[in-house]
This record gives sequence, C-alpha cells and structure tokens, in this order.
Amino acid sequence: MTYTQSRRWGGLLFLLPYALSFLVFVVVPVVVALGLAFMQFDLTNRGAIHFIGLGNFKEALGDTYFWQALKATFTYVILMVPGVVVAGLAMALGMNAMARGRNAVRALFFLPGLFNVAVTGLLWRWFFEDDFGLFNYLLKKMGLHTVPWLSSSAYAMPSIVLMSLWWVLGGTAIVLLAAVQQIPRPLFEAAMLDGAGGRALLSKMTLPLLRPVLLFVVVMNTIGAFQVFGQPFILTRGGPERVTRGLVQYIYEMAFNNYRLGYGAAMSWLLFLVVAVFALVQYRFLRRSVS
Amino acid sequence: MSTKVWIGLLFLFCVVLGVGRSDLSCAGPSGRHKLQINFWNGFTGPDGQIMLGIIRKFNEANPDVEVTMQRMDWDTYYNKLMVAELDGRGPEVFVIQSQWMARMNRAGFVADVSDLFTGSNPIPKDDFDPVVISQVQYGQKMVGVPLDIWPFGLYMNADYMKEIGFTDANGNARAPKDKAEFLKAITELKKTAPDGSADRWGFALDNWRWDFQSLLPQFNGRYFDEKGRADLANPNNVAALQFLVSLNGPPRLMPPPENAMGWVGFRQKKVAMVVDGIFMVGDLKRLNDFNYVGAPVPVIGSRPGTLADSHCLCVRHDLSPEMHKAAERFIKFLSNNSIDWADAGQVPARKSVRADPRFAQMPVQYAFSKEIPYIQYLPRTPVLFDINRELDFAVESAIRGRMSSQDALKQASDHVQEELDRDALEQKEEGLAK
Repeated sequence: MTYTQSRRWGGLLFLLPYALSFLVFVVVPVVVALGLAFMQFDLTNRGAIHFIGLGNFKEALGDTYFWQALKATFTYVILMVPGVVVAGLAMALGMNAMARGRNAVRALFFLPGLFNVAVTGLLWRWFFEDDFGLFNYLLKKMGLHTVPWLSSSAYAMPSIVLMSLWWVLGGTAIVLLAAVQQIPRPLFEAAMLDGAGGRALLSKMTLPLLRPVLLFVVVMNTIGAFQVFGQPFILTRGGPERVTRGLVQYIYEMAFNNYRLGYGAAMSWLLFLVVAVFALVQYRFLRRSVS
Repeated sequence: MSTKVWIGLLFLFCVVLGVGRSDLSCAGPSGRHKLQINFWNGFTGPDGQIMLGIIRKFNEANPDVEVTMQRMDWDTYYNKLMVAELDGRGPEVFVIQSQWMARMNRAGFVADVSDLFTGSNPIPKDDFDPVVISQVQYGQKMVGVPLDIWPFGLYMNADYMKEIGFTDANGNARAPKDKAEFLKAITELKKTAPDGSADRWGFALDNWRWDFQSLLPQFNGRYFDEKGRADLANPNNVAALQFLVSLNGPPRLMPPPENAMGWVGFRQKKVAMVVDGIFMVGDLKRLNDFNYVGAPVPVIGSRPGTLADSHCLCVRHDLSPEMHKAAERFIKFLSNNSIDWADAGQVPARKSVRADPRFAQMPVQYAFSKEIPYIQYLPRTPVLFDINRELDFAVESAIRGRMSSQDALKQASDHVQEELDRDALEQKEEGLAK
C-alpha cells in the first residue's frame, strides 16, 4: 500500500465510528420517518397500516392544532432569537471590556449551559411558582404585585423565553466574545485616533466585522428555537390555553401519546421544511451583508 | 506479576463471579431455573415502595418464580409499554389504567386471563362491583384483574371545617352534603386580608378537567349519545361546567384562574377543600402537622356521583403456558393481598378485601370507598386521548372566561366527532384489508 493510500484508509478509519453512528441514528431514522409520513400508521390499529400518499400532510394543513402549535413556535423564535443575539453580544462586549476577572465571569456565564433541560426546568419552575417562588417573593419584598409567570397566557411564553435565555446565553456570549477578541486592536486604536466614539466603533467596526459569526449564531439559534420542546414541556406542559405548546410537543403527543406515528412523521417533515426555509433565507440575507 | 497477568486474573475473577451470580439468581431450591417475571407499572411515588414490599413477600412465598419491578413515570409509561410489547420485548405482567384499556387491548398484546376467574381456586367475579369488573371485560375476554379503585373525593382541612361549625355529633369535622351547604362552607371559609386580597380560599380547582369530570355523573352528564356520536355539549354537561364557572363570581369563591394553587394551596393551608383522587392521600401522609379528612364529593347536581378509575393487572399475550400460569399466580397474589396495597392510597377493588377490619382503619380510603355505588369510569373508547385533550381546553377556556361553557363544549364535541369519524374510517379500512 502506498503512503497516499494508507493515509486515505487511515482517514476513513478515523471517520468510520462517527459515520456508522450517523448512519444508524440519523440517516436510517430520517429515511424511516420519510416513509412513515406517507402512511397511515397507528400502533393501536396495525391492521389498517397502509400507504396514503399525501393524506397526512393534507390533514396537518387542515389541523387547527398544527397551526396553533406552529404559531406558538414562531412566538418563541421571535422572542428568543433576537433576545439571545442582542443579550449575548452585550455580554460579549462587556466581558471584552473587562480588564480583570474576565475568565471567571466567562466561566460563570457558561455554567447554566452545563445543566440539562430537566434540571433547568425544575429549578425555574420553583423560581416562577406563584405563591412561594423566588421571583414573586422578591416582588413582594419590594412591595410590588406578584406576577402569574406560568399560569397566565400573557406571561407564560415570555417566562419560558426568560428561562431559555438564562440557559443558553452563556454559550452564545462566549462564541461572540471569541469573535470580538479576534478583531485586531490596532483597528480600534486607529479609529479612536480618528475621533470615533463608542457608538461609531460598535456600528461601523465591531458589528460589520462580527457578521460572519453573527450569521452562525443567528442561524444556529433559529434552528434550535424551532425545535423547542423541553422548556415548555417541563414548565407548562404546553399551557395555559395551549399558548406554549410548540410544534415539537404536538408532534410528540401525536406520535407517542396518541400512537399516530405516520401523522407525527408528516408534521416533522413540515417542521423541517419551515426550519430549512428560514435557515436558508437568513443565510442568504446575512451572507450578502457579509460579502 | 506483569500487568497483563493481573488483567487476565481480574477477567477470570469477573467471569467466575458472573457465572456464580447468574446461578444464584436463576436456580430455585430444586435446582430448576426460576421463572423470571418482569412487572411494569407507573408507581413512582411512595406507592412503589409498598408494591415492592408485596413483591418481596410473593418472591419469598414462591421460590420458583422471581418477580422484578420496573417503575416509570405514567407520562411516558404507555408509549414504552406499547413499543416494548409490540416488539415482543415487553414485560410479562403490567398495569393498565382502565381508561386506557380500550386502546391497549386493540393493540393486541393483552392476554385473555378469563381462567383466573374460572379455573381452580378462582378470583370470584362477584367479589367485584359490576361497574368495576366490567372495565376488564371485552366481549367474552377478560383482559385483566382490577387491583384497586381510585375514586375522586373531597379533601378537607379538618381544623378549618370545625372553625365554621361543620362538625358531626362527635365534634369531628364533616363535609358539606349538598350544593347549598357547599356554597355556604366555601363562602364562610374564605378569609380576606386587610388589603382586600384573599388570605384563604374555601375551595380551589386542582386538575380542572378532573374537577369537571367528577361532577359530570351528578348532572347525568355523558360523553356520547345513544348512537355513539360525541355529545360533550349536552345541557347536563354544560350545567356541570357552568357550576364551576359560577364559582368565579361574583362573589368570587375560588382563586382566580391565573393563580392555580389547587393541591399545593391545600397542602399550604391556603385552601380549605379540594377535589382529587384517593391516590393523593399518600402525599398528605408525609405532612406532620396537617389535620385532614376525606369525604365523598358533595351532591352539587341532582344525584351523588364522581369520577373513578382502576389499575388493572394484565398479562402479555404470547407467553408460554408455564409463564402464563406463573404470571397469573402473581396477579392472584396481588389481588388477594390488595389490603396492603390500599395503604399506598387506594381502595381495593374486591369487596372481601374492603371488608377487612384494617381497611376501616384507613380513614380517607374508607370514606372515598362509600362512593363506589355511584362512581363513573371514563368512557371506553379509542379516542380517549382526544376527549381528554378537548375537555382540557374546553374547561380551561370556560373557566378563564374566554368562551361560554356551551361554546367551549360544542367546539370540543365537534373535534372529538372528527376523531371518531377518522377512527371509524381506519377501522373500516382494517376490515377491508382483512
């Protein structure tokens, strides 16, 4: 075997473990889900399993709950993505400006992201508790009215977004901080010598130079936000009045509580289409700005 | 010795240990292999510990069988059970709540256990109330054995009830009997703080749908009409829901919907009465300084009635005759010893077990058992998931004042009918396929 061949085989061998797991746990389920989406597949009615073409997709498009869940998902995305990008950027700039203790602060911000969603959800359920939760306790101490964080349809989704921000903000801020630190300092110094103020430095230098990383952050957070499940599932179970029941939760309920795997698979593909379109639009739009 | 030799010895030691362990666990006293029975259920609370104690007793009394229990949260229990059973890897014995039996039975993995009621030393069918035993009867098939009954009843803070003079001849706290007494009690129990907000409520909703369903039988409510069509918006159902809505006031007699304190409020002594299932008594037992009593749900409608369900013990359909017999022996043991299980916060399904003097010593269970003559189980239908989902939303919409009770239930009924039609079409297609 020549050196080139052995290098090629070596590379393939290194790839093999991941490629195998990718095949088994991603490719196969995706192909199976694609097949299921075109079938009437109810686990409790296995005698009636058969191909129904676009039947499941048509049913989803006429299903009030599908649209309701999609609306809840969009609400979450609209509140979450700008929130995480703006707050993450602010935190990154703040940490960048710190002369001392930056590493400690960075580690502290990153800490919540190490908890899994169940732990985070249970913790925040206690924070949000109406009567003896932390937030309402603090509000009472300050002589303010308490807030029905999770039991009012007006507050429930913003409350979930608040928890999600706490959970993921550290990771985003660290990515942005790394990008900010890559910007050469002499550029800033030259601009300041030319009389640029803080606002001009941010809008004319920092943001334009951060665009490639911002593109990454926006697209990844959008994809993540469309897939929201754990936070509302633990905090509100989709209530009150279904305002926090996102599409993934509805898919889960249909497929795993109602055993309609075909219908659940079809809705998953519809969600995939929505996410793909959004990601593509954002990518095109921001890439143009970058170039 | 080199590292390789040490590792080799360690491997040998593990193999010997493993073989020895497997021999210990699988061989009975006669040298025969033990029959392994996996028992799945959703008893994740303190009830699981009590069930574990009963299983230990069974294992001691039956050296040829070893039962191991797997507990999981009810929320994910059924989808795991369904997938495991359909794939032939499921447990030999499992629990199904009677409300889900129609769907699980249709999936085809639940065995006929009629011989438990007819064979030698049978469980007498007439030891169950007809409404209870009917939950496991599907045509000629008996698909399980009801272990218990969990009726919904009224939990009260005894000190508060005494405070407003709701006491019996012995000076013990008593429950309101009818609508007038109930309204009087919750009015008097409500305490207002100096700033006008309520310091204490006489009554609070807990699980809103269950509160509604507990009232349905009292109003002669129903889920389907005579032709089997969805009938959630019939006037009786509307009246039951309207009663709950009316507690919003004026005058307000329960906490605002945004402050869903329910059971937590009751435990915190901020609420004097709640309606919930008997299974919640285990939670109260853990409180040291809480004086509570249980009673049947007051008669708000035209007759007594409440919601109930049962845990049913079922067997996998594809077991060998030997395993099937062992599984049935285990079920019989649980049924015969269900007085121990009652302590976990359940009412035994069998009349003879309820006659045990120990049962009368369980005050809340005993009080709730008085409701058995008029309990109503959830409807036996494959679209129960949809009914629950629709009723959850309808009850919530009405109580929050988003829709009238009539409109909310009408919308729910229409959606359930759509699901019934879809299911009927699937059934028809299944028939054609056969």
